[in-house]
Amino acid sequence: MRMRRIGAAAVLALVFVAACDGLPGKPKESDRPLSPWQVKSFTVLFSGNCAGCHGAGGRFGAAYELANPTFQALVDDAALTGIVSQGMAGTAMPPFAHKYGGFLTDAQIGILVDGMRRRWRVGAAPPNAPPLAGGGGDPARGAQVFARSCAPCHGADGEGSPKAPGSIVDPSYLTLVSDDAIRTLIVAGRTDLGHPDWRGYPPGQPLSAQQVADVVAWMAAKRPRFVPGSYARNP
Amino acid sequence: MSLRQIARDVGAWLDHRLGLSGPIIEAAEHPVPRSSASWWYVFGSAAFAVMVLQFITGLCLATVYAPSADRAWQSLLYLNYDQPLGWFIRAMHGWGSNFMIGLVCIHMAQVFLFGAYKYPRELTWVAGVVLLLATLGMAFTGQVLRFDQDAYWGLGIGAAIAGRTPFIGGRVVKMILGGPIIAGETLSRFFTLHVFVIPGLLIAFVGLHLFLVLRLGINEWPMPGRLVKRDTYLAQYHELVSKDGEPFFPFAAQKDLVFIGLIIAALVVTAAVMGPIGPNGEPDPAIIETVPRPDFFFLWLFSVFALLPPWTETFLMLTGPVAAIGLLFLVPFISGTGEKSYRRRPVSVMILVLSFMTIGILIYLGTYSPWSPHMEAWSSVPTPVDYVSGRTPLELQGAVLIQAKQCRNCHALGGQGGMRGPALDRTATRLTPDQIVRQIVQGGGNMPAYGRNLTPAEVNAIVAFLATMHPAHQPPARLAARPQRPEQTDASP
Ligand code: HEC
Ligand code: HEC
Ligand code: HEC
Repeated sequence: MRMRRIGAAAVLALVFVAACDGLPGKPKESDRPLSPWQVKSFTVLFSGNCAGCHGAGGRFGAAYELANPTFQALVDDAALTGIVSQGMAGTAMPPFAHKYGGFLTDAQIGILVDGMRRRWRVGAAPPNAPPLAGGGGDPARGAQVFARSCAPCHGADGEGSPKAPGSIVDPSYLTLVSDDAIRTLIVAGRTDLGHPDWRGYPPGQPLSAQQVADVVAWMAAKRPRFVPGSYARNP
Repeated sequence: MSLRQIARDVGAWLDHRLGLSGPIIEAAEHPVPRSSASWWYVFGSAAFAVMVLQFITGLCLATVYAPSADRAWQSLLYLNYDQPLGWFIRAMHGWGSNFMIGLVCIHMAQVFLFGAYKYPRELTWVAGVVLLLATLGMAFTGQVLRFDQDAYWGLGIGAAIAGRTPFIGGRVVKMILGGPIIAGETLSRFFTLHVFVIPGLLIAFVGLHLFLVLRLGINEWPMPGRLVKRDTYLAQYHELVSKDGEPFFPFAAQKDLVFIGLIIAALVVTAAVMGPIGPNGEPDPAIIETVPRPDFFFLWLFSVFALLPPWTETFLMLTGPVAAIGLLFLVPFISGTGEKSYRRRPVSVMILVLSFMTIGILIYLGTYSPWSPHMEAWSSVPTPVDYVSGRTPLELQGAVLIQAKQCRNCHALGGQGGMRGPALDRTATRLTPDQIVRQIVQGGGNMPAYGRNLTPAEVNAIVAFLATMHPAHQPPARLAARPQRPEQTDASP
């Protein structure tokens, strides 16, 4: 009689202990607190460090659409690593590598670059695409490219139209944006906000590398040396 | 010989030598007023039971815990993830601490409401206040032993309070922390406090408290109009228990036992469902992007310090705790006689309700601490999509800069971001572009001045973006009657 009772208690205790693995309070391996530099998940790294500017999932952010497949097809790992590590001087893109004052390790930057490629690159680079890097354009020829390819949306002088509101030659805007960012936008476009890429100005007449360089040079030439503050402008 | 027979023989052998059974039976059967065998009187014994449980789980934890700065945190992780059921013991101990504080507070509130601290039970109350302080002391030192980022908060604020003591402040800090900063010595000291000093104090004062309860008898149910007078009370009480008394065991004790059972069951379920408390991130001074936060029983203090204007802090930090604790000790001496029933003591009831409400609200504020910046918002909380599509290039740059300049850490957009400053979704209905410029450049009202840290182009972009922050149906703010004033700021060239 007594033995049976003890046996029952032991079985109950065993069931309890076994069930403990399934108890909701048991900490899961994923709850383990990590130092910021131990984080290895792309999703966590991207949403913690990049989503604020580049948008959740790399789209619809205030800064460039990193999930754009054309961009991911054209850019290479080294360029991405360089940009993420060192930031883009003179713009709001901050450096992330420890040695440039950021908070990410080189391994974490590797995970970010690798993750972006894996997720967002679809297919190989399209043939005849203009490179993302480059220079040496001619502003005067750029003005012609602009008139043909861009003015339909941005207005004759770049001051905007209902299709693309706001000026792309605003002195403050041009001061804040880099030539590289302008070139990326022209070549790879933004699928989220409806910007055409190099094949679409208008469709069927792709821009050549030289034409891209020229139109970037045209915009760069409009960048002012000095922007007066609005708070100094009121007399 | 059966087991029961052996047990009985051993018991008799011991009792023959110790002679304890008499006093124990006497204590167990001491008469209590019939009216006090109520569900209102179960909280003290429940607190006691949880305390005993804390001793047991604490003992288990102490076998694994390593009280050294470099291993404490690791040993908690070991308990959580590697030691079978280690997490459960930690959960029981952590939640047990919360339960105990809750029970002690309810017990005190009940004693206060029922006037049980009045003559002749003043000393019982005083011992009770010491027990409350010791319980809070255990909670505080226990939180430090967790030695994670939140533990730093407790220590930091404790050291800040102590450090402001006139003349001896520096020495007191050194004594608490074992040095000028939080380090390994700090942990040894808190381990000693948590495991030897305060438990010793608890045992001693629980002993005194119980001894007094037995000696003076359990408070009778307060009747409106039955006043406590020093010269008649004892005789009245005596008459009450002899006429209408019942033995404590089993008459009153059965309710205590049932309640203790319920509380322990609730504790086990809470521990099993909620799991262990922390440890959260490693306490590493190199990790700056954290907002350490105390456990809930000190959250109200956290709120007080966050909300008080800074100039009051030194004064209040030094006098506040002394005054509050002093008042608690003085309660039975301020109103030691007279009416016991809460129905006839409106002021006391008000004081109790107000204190609980204040602390409750402060704890609520502390859990969501709108005054702390959200340190990761700038890089992790995206601009709402509505504010991105259809914006001009300059406005988009402004949206990026709101992130890049960490405005988002204090300002929410679309309900997300810090809450230290107002949400910016409707800023344009309140401020004209000029006023926005002024707010950004000059700061003010707890916002830093960005004057020298922003280029004119950056200011233009931010203002262009913020000027769109008004609902479509509500026009942006305009200066009504005033002409544009030529107010110049420091930052203008
Ligand atoms: C504070 C805002 C901000 C954060 C956070 C941010 N970026 Fe950027 N990023 C920008 C801006 C602005 C640009 C465009 C800069 C310019 O004008 O050249 C940019 C450009 C880039 C580019 C180049 C795109 C191009 O135009 O060629 C890459 C790649 C990039 N960011 C990756 C990242 C990654 C990965 C992260 C997270 C680790 C990140 N960014 C976090 C603001 C940010
Ligand atoms: C089909 C219409 C269309 C055409 C053609 C077009 N754009 Fe755009 N552009 C837009 C729209 C819409 C936006 C706003 C959304 C955005 O920022 O992507 C925009 C934005 C821009 C921006 C600002 C991006 C930023 O940083 O926010 C630049 C620079 C720009 N366009 C340059 C050009 C240039 C150069 C060309 C010609 C090669 C061109 N666009 C042709 C529609 C067009
Ligand atoms: C440390 C936290 C903090 C940061 C960072 C911060 N602000 Fe503020 N901001 C505040 C507080 C607090 C107020 C309320 C000031 C007052 O009550 O007068 C405020 C007020 C404002 C207002 C007026 C809002 C209104 O609707 O009345 C604007 C606009 C503003 N901030 C813009 C910015 C911008 C832009 C940035 C980044 C460049 C920024 N803030 C960064 C705390 C902050």
